[in-house]
Amino acid sequence: MCGLAGIFAYHPAAPPPAPLEVARIRDAMARRGPHGQGLHVADDGRLQLGHRRLAIVDPSPAGDQPMTDPGGTVVIAHVGEIYNRRRLAAELEAAGTRLRGSSDTEVLLHLYLAHGEGMLERLRGMFAFAIWDGRSQRLLLARDPYGIKPLYYADDGWTLRFATQARALVDTGAVSAARDPAGQAGFLLLGSVPEPFTLYRDVRALPAGSAMWVDRHGPRPPRTWSRLADAVAEAEALAASAPPPAEEARARMREALLDSVRHHLESDRPVGVFLSAGVDSGALLGLATEVAGHSLDAFTVRFPELAGAPEDETAGAARTAARYGARHHVVEIGASQAGRALDQALAAMDQPTIDGLNTWLVADAARDHGLHVALSGTGGDELLGGYPAFRSVPARRRWLALAALIPGLGVTARELLRRLPLQRLGVSPKAAGLAELGGDWAGGWLLARGLFMPWELPALLGREAAREGLDRLRPLTLVRSVLGAGPDGGPRTDFGRVAVLESSLYLRHQLLRDADWAGMDRGVEVRVPLVDPVLLRAVVPLLARAPLGSGKRWLAAAARPALEPALAAAPKTGFTVPMAAWLAGVARDRLGAWRSMPELARPGCHWARRLAWAIHAEGLAAPPGVALGRAG
Amino acid sequence: MMATQDLAASADPARVLAVLSDGLGAGGGIARYGTDLLRALQASERVASTRVVARHGADGVRGRRLSQRVAAGGRAGFALALGAERGRRYDAVVCGHLNLLPAALAVSRDAPVWLLTYGIEAWRPRRRWAARALERVALVTAISRDTRRRLLQWSAIAPERVRVLPPTVSPDLTPGPADSRLAAALGLGRRRVLLTVGRLDPAERYKGHDRVIGALPALVAAGHDCAYLVVGEGGDRARLEAVARAAGVAERVVFAGHVDDGRLADHYRLADVFVMPSTGEGFGIVFLEAVACGCRVVGLDAAGARDALRDGALGALVAGDDLVPTLAAVLTAPPDPETARRRRDAMLAAFGPAVFAAEVDAMLDRLRGEAAPSPTRPEPAHRGVGIRRPEPMS
Repeated sequence: MCGLAGIFAYHPAAPPPAPLEVARIRDAMARRGPHGQGLHVADDGRLQLGHRRLAIVDPSPAGDQPMTDPGGTVVIAHVGEIYNRRRLAAELEAAGTRLRGSSDTEVLLHLYLAHGEGMLERLRGMFAFAIWDGRSQRLLLARDPYGIKPLYYADDGWTLRFATQARALVDTGAVSAARDPAGQAGFLLLGSVPEPFTLYRDVRALPAGSAMWVDRHGPRPPRTWSRLADAVAEAEALAASAPPPAEEARARMREALLDSVRHHLESDRPVGVFLSAGVDSGALLGLATEVAGHSLDAFTVRFPELAGAPEDETAGAARTAARYGARHHVVEIGASQAGRALDQALAAMDQPTIDGLNTWLVADAARDHGLHVALSGTGGDELLGGYPAFRSVPARRRWLALAALIPGLGVTARELLRRLPLQRLGVSPKAAGLAELGGDWAGGWLLARGLFMPWELPALLGREAAREGLDRLRPLTLVRSVLGAGPDGGPRTDFGRVAVLESSLYLRHQLLRDADWAGMDRGVEVRVPLVDPVLLRAVVPLLARAPLGSGKRWLAAAARPALEPALAAAPKTGFTVPMAAWLAGVARDRLGAWRSMPELARPGCHWARRLAWAIHAEGLAAPPGVALGRAG
Repeated sequence: MMATQDLAASADPARVLAVLSDGLGAGGGIARYGTDLLRALQASERVASTRVVARHGADGVRGRRLSQRVAAGGRAGFALALGAERGRRYDAVVCGHLNLLPAALAVSRDAPVWLLTYGIEAWRPRRRWAARALERVALVTAISRDTRRRLLQWSAIAPERVRVLPPTVSPDLTPGPADSRLAAALGLGRRRVLLTVGRLDPAERYKGHDRVIGALPALVAAGHDCAYLVVGEGGDRARLEAVARAAGVAERVVFAGHVDDGRLADHYRLADVFVMPSTGEGFGIVFLEAVACGCRVVGLDAAGARDALRDGALGALVAGDDLVPTLAAVLTAPPDPETARRRRDAMLAAFGPAVFAAEVDAMLDRLRGEAAPSPTRPEPAHRGVGIRRPEPMS
């Protein structure tokens, strides 16, 4: 999985970077690559590439990075996995390319030599890479369509610095750690910082599915080479006006799932499975066991606070593990372990997030058992319509479309409702925005997923910081942008629209980013077979016009044997951490800032709002010495 | 190769409209930067013609593929002159000042707009109309990294659209022997000479003449028999003369007044050290001129001076408290022509006319290869935030 770092002093006036600067950025991500490190410096010293390696495929030195082509002019540093590397390697060899080893990095390098930027269309996997082309003195940065692997950059107008983790850029001091009000506002609205913003004013995320060229005159605006909205829209267009018969749909889905799982099991190291009592990870275990042809290790976390509650995963997970013959490892997280985990996870957090602790804990368990690769069911709800938002967002939009047409009604209703003690009445404070936002796809999604609403930010951030943050962030524009350009673009079905919103925002900015930093902090590569564009294109035509719930049922039925019916029919669960209890208990000292905010301290406040404020106010996920506290 | 680059490479030479505050023939640093840009456009194979409409400068200038109209009659006259251009079709519009941006956008029709930014005009948050107008610009060039960084702090424009285009320097400025007759005429005698070149504008006191005058007594007390040569004219001169008198160094401070470009090199060559401890330079082109003439250079580690001195590679960048010891050290060290030559070569490699011309061509490619951004509107969900009194959450 690894970490990459680089510096390109592109402008003629830019002094060459200090000899060891890129090594410092690289080594700020040492946990991402315990198996090796490398450095490449161009002859004129103006381009430096660094890499830390977690060796999963071709662990031999033939896979070391940065890797240079036989001509010595093109260099690559790559993070992630290319799951169709065997087919791509065969195509390259058939065309006369001689490959030295079997690493996917070497395949990427030769694909670039053969196809240039056009290589991106051929890739199936999770990746972020940097390719330096010494022939044209240009640098190419690129990311996978879903944004499973991150890539951040800081451009000062003369020199570009980039790295897999945002903090690595600011930790070394070369890039300012000054906060971006847009990043702060985005975090409080959504629980994670939406790209291209980051917590830091001078650091940007290369958007998912984008590529960016940097030449002697600086970076070009990133070009989107793959957009989920387009993929979903194309897949919808393939769907017949009536859905295929259920039997045929089930069979096609099983084949597509097996294909994705088969690709995601490509590894020269053993692969485990993160297992909850839910459908996604359970079916994944069944499918992976079938493809692997042998028993797998499965990992579940148990919390005493949840004992006997519906959120306790262990009993269901144990039954699933037994059903598929897995070696099941259950790790109990008591108070002392929780405290240690919180300390370490909060220290490892790349950017502020209200999630990721569950991944950190289960990855920690996997690493304790010697595993470096694990499958996760992340993405199943976005792909298969598992979230309540698949019903609520379209329904509200239908009810409230008329209200949205009446000028001023929404804002007036919001201001009136805000004066009511909604929370004391057991109603979310977000409800004040129902008439204002609910009639629109972007607004409806923001209502469904948001922690705080935009009008709440002045009280949290201060008036000026909130105004500046929202003015730069433009949350509705940002949300709307993922649906595609213009009324004729993007998905047309309710399912497609919500799938794109959830996949391009919540999945990308929260779940996948958290899986990256949390897994890599434990030295575990988290693979997500349900987050795969090939699978997406196969599944959307089946589900776009099918009754909601079909996807999850067909996933449960795809494993052999099918997932236990009781678990398949159970309410949605999945790696729940007892954060509400921890905020009042074990995390009381570390994450207690919410107590000083009357609105958050009041009974009935959702734990996620408390946690988001605590992380913001405590200055977590920032380099030492940089306080994130209340501004303005 | 990206589609945008293909488009740029295949584009016909562009008809460019330059909407400037200071056109050819105007005075000052911004005018010099604009002149260098216009000359680069004129020489570029990517440009078919350049039409300049300016508020100040020489009216009626015509050259190969370039013509200039300077509008009389203040703002109204300028608006009329621009209005006359609306009937013509341009492929690109260069806007020379943020204040002129609405006019440039209005006259641009569908042509992409390139905005030039310099210093303080782009450093502080502007009114909302300016911020919104900025988002409609295809390309912004900032004269320095500092100006770029400050502009991005208050604007929502995509950072990749904001590039840095440093100024260039005339190759005519070269090292040479000091003109003893000029030194005598200025009353410098055999004293070591500290030099600053810059306008003496009450609005530009950040340039730091006061700091140099304030350093003189300590330098003299330390045994340095030095004089301070001030080149430049402006409304702040009388105050600076009073400051020199108050500090007891009036006879060591020489105000040379305005010096024509043709005599500038002679003045630089008199200097043992060029010093401009400015806190507010957008860039500080005089630093480049000083290096070109072989001067040792001292500036403050602040704002655009970092760019002009290439983070200290071309001269000393010091904190304010270190000004006296740094000047003392420079005055103590013997002149080193070899180091001066290497610095001049390094300066020209970074900021020379060839580099500037290549950058201008690259900006033209970028300008024509990338679509102008669509403006986005304020969002109802936060409309009013910042105007309404914040309410506590309780």
